[in-house]
Amino acid sequence: MKASILHAKVLPSLLGGTSRHPLPAELIHPSGSASDGTLEMLSLLSQALRFTRPFSPDSFAVEPEIKDERAILDAALRRPLIRFLKGKSATDHPARALARAFDRLRLRPHPFDLLMIDGFVRSHAEKLGPIAHHWADRQKPEAETLSYFDPELLDESNWAQARLSRRVAFLEQRRREDADAARALLESTWPNEEAEARFRLLQALQTRLSGPDQPFLNTLEKDRAPRVRALAAKFLSRLGAGGGNPSLLACLERIKQTESGLLRKRRVLQLELPANAKDQAASRWILQTFDEVSFNELAGAVNLSENDLIEASAKDDPLLLALALVATNDRRLDLLERVVEHLPHAWERMFESGLDSIGTMTEPERHRWAEIIVQPYRKELPTAYALWDWLHRLLDAAAPAPVMSILLKADLLKKLPNREHSSPPWLELLAAICPSPQRADLRAQLAGFEPALSANSLALLDILDGMEKNRTHV
Amino acid sequence: MPLSLDRIEALAPDQSSLAAARKLLKPASWPTLAEGEGLIWGECQGSGATPYRVAVNEADAGYKCTCPSRKFPCKHTLALMWMRVDRPTTFAPAPVPEWVKDWLSRRRGSSATPVKPRDESKPKSKASIHLTQTTETETVADAKAEQRAAAAHERARLEREAAVLAGLEDLDVWLLDQAQHGMANFVVQAAQSCRTISQRLVDSKASGLAGRLDALPTRLFTLPDPVRPTAAIRELGQIYLISQAYRRAAEIPPLLAADAKQAVGWSVTRETLLGDSDALRVDAEWRVFAVISEAQADRLRRVETWLWRESGTDQSPSCALLVDFVPLAGGATTGGYLVGDHVEAEMCFYPSAIPLRAQIATLKKGATQSSEPLKMPVGTLSACYAQYEEALATLPWLGTFPLTFRSATLRRTGSQLFIHEENGLSLPIASSQSNEVLPLASVGHVDGIGLWNSYEFTLAWAETSLGRWVRA
Repeated sequence: MKASILHAKVLPSLLGGTSRHPLPAELIHPSGSASDGTLEMLSLLSQALRFTRPFSPDSFAVEPEIKDERAILDAALRRPLIRFLKGKSATDHPARALARAFDRLRLRPHPFDLLMIDGFVRSHAEKLGPIAHHWADRQKPEAETLSYFDPELLDESNWAQARLSRRVAFLEQRRREDADAARALLESTWPNEEAEARFRLLQALQTRLSGPDQPFLNTLEKDRAPRVRALAAKFLSRLGAGGGNPSLLACLERIKQTESGLLRKRRVLQLELPANAKDQAASRWILQTFDEVSFNELAGAVNLSENDLIEASAKDDPLLLALALVATNDRRLDLLERVVEHLPHAWERMFESGLDSIGTMTEPERHRWAEIIVQPYRKELPTAYALWDWLHRLLDAAAPAPVMSILLKADLLKKLPNREHSSPPWLELLAAICPSPQRADLRAQLAGFEPALSANSLALLDILDGMEKNRTHV
Repeated sequence: MPLSLDRIEALAPDQSSLAAARKLLKPASWPTLAEGEGLIWGECQGSGATPYRVAVNEADAGYKCTCPSRKFPCKHTLALMWMRVDRPTTFAPAPVPEWVKDWLSRRRGSSATPVKPRDESKPKSKASIHLTQTTETETVADAKAEQRAAAAHERARLEREAAVLAGLEDLDVWLLDQAQHGMANFVVQAAQSCRTISQRLVDSKASGLAGRLDALPTRLFTLPDPVRPTAAIRELGQIYLISQAYRRAAEIPPLLAADAKQAVGWSVTRETLLGDSDALRVDAEWRVFAVISEAQADRLRRVETWLWRESGTDQSPSCALLVDFVPLAGGATTGGYLVGDHVEAEMCFYPSAIPLRAQIATLKKGATQSSEPLKMPVGTLSACYAQYEEALATLPWLGTFPLTFRSATLRRTGSQLFIHEENGLSLPIASSQSNEVLPLASVGHVDGIGLWNSYEFTLAWAETSLGRWVRA
C-alpha cells in the first residue's frame, strides 16, 4: 500500500474518528479474527508518517550582518567569566566593572557564551559591543532595534550609526574642537533622533555654549519631548535669551541677602528652607530647586562674581550644598573645589540630596570630581557603605589613583563593624573600584579575609587582570 | 577521571551548594585529609560532635558523605573535591581506612563505573559505614532452597507474563476507542485519557509502555498545535506495534523481540547484561558529545550521556548511550561525564536490533577533557538521515537517533530555525534551543552532531570558525 493512499484515505478517518468516518473497507486487512483492522491501519499510517521527510522551506530569512570590530575575550577567560557571572554576587558592582573593562579594552564576550551570561548582557549591552547588543535586543520587534554598528574610530560620516553613549562622547569632543561644526553635525541628524537621543545629545551642547547656538536652541522650544524643551530653555536662559528662567526666580525667592562686617561690608547670602524641609528632605528639596539653574545665572542674578558668590555663601551649609550641586551639574570643577573648601562634608550632603547623575562629564572630569569630594575625608574615611556605593555608581569608572590610595591606606576593611556580614559587599565594591596599578595592594588586604568572603573579589581581580593582559598582548 | 573545577561545577546541585562548599575550603575544618588507591577521603568538622566522613572515588567522581544533607553531592563532598583540585598536596598518602573500604564494597556503581565481580568468599558488609566490625557469616548453599527460589522466580515470571498480556488486551481496546473517537479529539483530552490507561498498564506490570503513554501528552504539547493529531497517530501506532511485536515475539527476529520486551517493561539489569557473554561489546575510544537530563514523573531524573565512537571498525555501533537515574530531590543533573570528555572503554550494548543503549563493561582510561575536534564521518546530513531511515525500517519504534552533518548552515524562517544543507535536507531545530543556537546563525558553515527524535533536531555539538559550540 502506498503512503499516498494512506495519507489520502486513512488519515482523514483516523483524525476525525472511525465511528464517524469509517476506514475504506477495501484497504482493511485484519491480522486476526479479534481485530477489525483499525489498529493495523493505525500502525501502518504511523510508520508511513514516520518515513515522511520533514518539511524543508524553499527560502530562509537573511540574517543581519553585524560587524563587530572588537576582539573576542581570550579563551582562557571564558570559563572563569561565566563561572563568576553565574555565581552569586552580593552587589552589582563586579558586573559594572566587568562591563566597563569590556568597553574600555574594546573586547566582547564570545558569541557562544551570550546565553550563559544573558542577564549580564541585557544589563550592560551598550558596553559589550554590537553583537552582544543585538543579542540583548533579540526579543524586540525589528522596527524597534537599532543599527548595530560600533567602529573603532568615529568620524562625521559614521557617527550617527554608533551607539548613543559613544555619539554623545564624540559630539562633546567635537564641541571642544569646533563648537559650530559640532552643532551643525547635530542639526543634520536631529530630525531622525528619538527623544532619549535628542535629550542626551543636546546635553553635549553645554560644552562651549555660546551665542551662535541660539538659533538652533530657539527651534527646540516646540520639541515634542518636554525634557528637550526644558533643556533648550535652560540653555537659552544661560545665553540671556528666551524668557526668564522660572527655576532661577524660585531660587532667588529663597535666598536671603544681608550684609556683615564692621569696617568692610560684605554681602552674606543665606538659603531659607521651607518649614517642612528638614534634614534629608532639605537636601532633596535643594537638589530639586537648583536643578535647572546654572552657576553663571545664579551669580548674575545676585550681582556677584562666581567666586564672590561662594564667599558670600560660606557660612550657610544649605546654600553651599546648592552651589556644589550646581557646580557639578555645570561641570565647573574649579568652583566645586572652592565650595568644598567651605563644605567639607559635601560628599555626604550630595549623597543625601539624591543626586543620581553627574551629567556628561568625561572620565577625567569624573575622576577629578571624586578627588575633590573625597579629599576632605582623607584623615577619616566614612565607613557607610552607601556612600561608597553611590560614589562608584556616579563615577562609573575605576576610582582615581589618589582616592584609592586614601582608601587603601585607611585600611577601611579592618574598621568595619560586624565583619562577617558587612564584608562581601565591601570587598566586591573595592575590587570593582580599584584601578589596575593598585590591585596588588588590594590583594594584600584581601588576603586577611576568609576565602569564602574574599573569593568573589579575588576572582574579579583575576578576570580584570586577565582581560588587560590579554588586550596588551593583542 | 581527573577532578576539575568544571566537573565539580557540573556535579553541584546548585550554586548555593558551591557557595557553602567554598566556606569549607579551610584545612582547619578538616582534621583528616588523605588519599590512596585512587580515592580521597576526609573528616569534616560540622556542627555535631563527630565529624562527617566523606569519601570520593577519583576514577568516576563517585562519593559518599555521612552528613544528613538531602543534596547530592553535599557541600562536604564538593569541598573535598575542590580542595583536591586547589591544593592536592594537603592530602596525605595513607592506607584506605575500613569505612572507605566498606563503602566501596557496597557500591553498585553508575553506568560510568565498571562492575567488579563480587568476591563471594568475603563476608557481606554492614549497612552503615560507621560500623566496620567483621561478622562471621558462612552460608552453605541449600540446594532445596535454591530450587524453591528458582520455582518461585519462574512462577512470578509467568504471573507477570499473564498480567502483561492482559494489560495489552486492555491497551488494544483503549487504542481502538481512540481511533473511533478520532485523534483530533484524543489530543484535547490526552492527559486524562493517557493517565487512565497508563495506570492500568502499571498494574499489569507493563511499566515501559505505561511510561511511554504517561509521557505522551507532554510530548504532544511541546509540538505546534496543527501537527499534534498526526503526531498522536505516530505515537499510538508505535505503541500498537510494540504490543504486537511483544505478543508475536516468536515470529520476529530475536533482537527485535528483545527490543519489544524492553519497550514493554522487562528490564535487563546491569549485572545480567554484563554477565551475558552474547552481548555485543565494543572496545574503543569514545567522546561524550551530549549530556541530556530530564525530570520524570516518578521523581527521578533521567540522565542520558551520549558517546561517539572515535576508533575501531565501521561495522560496530558508532554511538553509545549511557542512561542513569538520579533522585530529583538531590538536585544532581549530570551522570559524572562532561561534554568533551574522552573515554577509553569497552561498552556492552543492550540486546537490540539497533544497539544504542550500553553499559561500560571495562573502563580502560578515565575521562579526560579534550579540545580536539570530534572525529565524525565525512557523510552529509542527507546520507546520515538515510541511515536513520534504514534503522527505522529495522526498528519501527526507534527513538532518538544521532545524526552527524558536514558543512551545514543554521537558517531561519520566522521563528523556526533549521539546520540546513545546501541542496539537501533541512531539519527543524528543537524549539527549546532557539535562543541557544542563535549565535551559530552568523558563523557560516559548521560540522556537527545532534539528536533527531523524528520531530525536531537537538543540536549537541558543532565545530565552527569560532571554535567548538556545545549544548548548554
